[in-house]
Amino acid sequence: MSGQVLAEVPFPPSVNDIYPPALFGGAEWLTKFSLFLWLAAAIVIVFFLVAYRNPKVVPTKGQWLAESLYGFVREGVAKDVIGHEGLRFAPYLASLFIFILVGNVFSIVPFIQVSPMAHIAFPLMLALCTYGLYLYQGFKKHGFVGYLKHATVLPAPWFMQPLLLPIEALQAFILQPLTLALRLFANMFAGHMLLLVFTLGGFALLNAESFFLKPISLVSWAMTIMLTFFELLIAALQAYVFTLLTANYLAGTLAEEH
Amino acid sequence: MADNQTPKQSGASGANTGWAAVGYLISGIAVWGFVGWLIDRWLGSDGIVTGIGCVLGAAGGIYLVVKKLGA
Repeated sequence: MSGQVLAEVPFPPSVNDIYPPALFGGAEWLTKFSLFLWLAAAIVIVFFLVAYRNPKVVPTKGQWLAESLYGFVREGVAKDVIGHEGLRFAPYLASLFIFILVGNVFSIVPFIQVSPMAHIAFPLMLALCTYGLYLYQGFKKHGFVGYLKHATVLPAPWFMQPLLLPIEALQAFILQPLTLALRLFANMFAGHMLLLVFTLGGFALLNAESFFLKPISLVSWAMTIMLTFFELLIAALQAYVFTLLTANYLAGTLAEEH
Repeated sequence: MADNQTPKQSGASGANTGWAAVGYLISGIAVWGFVGWLIDRWLGSDGIVTGIGCVLGAAGGIYLVVKKLGA
């Protein structure tokens, strides 16, 4: 029935599509994903260098965009969530937000059409950075044992503590960073798969044996267009959520005693 | 948490509260269900301790949600 269709692409798409072969034979690590990751990093670095190279009191368009992006994270995330102390994390949070945003938007840029964040390795690495940062801040502020206590012990009656301690420990030290990575990865991966299914599904329908199935491919492609706009929303939202949760965890770490 | 300094609750941080609540419930059941399962293997009993563990864990999870996220 399906197999090869007009565009010479296999349908349905599979998880293996997310593990592309190496680009130039030799280097196995040089795949589409690592290339796009560098591209995202390069775009962010070059954009900010250019925007701030020659700052003016009345900003140019580029400078205005850079300033409002940074200002948004500084005021809207760092200051609002963590408080005044959070301002020193604003550069980290802003780089995180803008890098993930650019990476995510790649999922709907023509000819790129896949976000590096759709590969579990990259969100996992970013989540590890956040994890390391908030553990370090916690140990610095509360001391090693102090932070372990801070993160797990709650003001509760003593007989509840044995019941609650393992739950809190699992939540704070394992589930928090893990879900941070998984949420971003799963959203971008699912979005990529969704677009792929509807695009390739259109070809599969066009190739169908029944004449009446052919026009339905148009519906499938219309869905692709709608989902592309939806994907733009998800891309921005997930970048924001990742940054916000990072700030949230930092705030929890830096908080005084409960 | 940080809600002693800023009274605002935007949509996104509301979502975070929701995630945390689900996380507590699931991790409660997972942790104590797992402990119960280990005891089950040790005693050779038939899953009864796993059940008790899950119920205990759910209770602990609900307690945590009320304590940390409630009012």
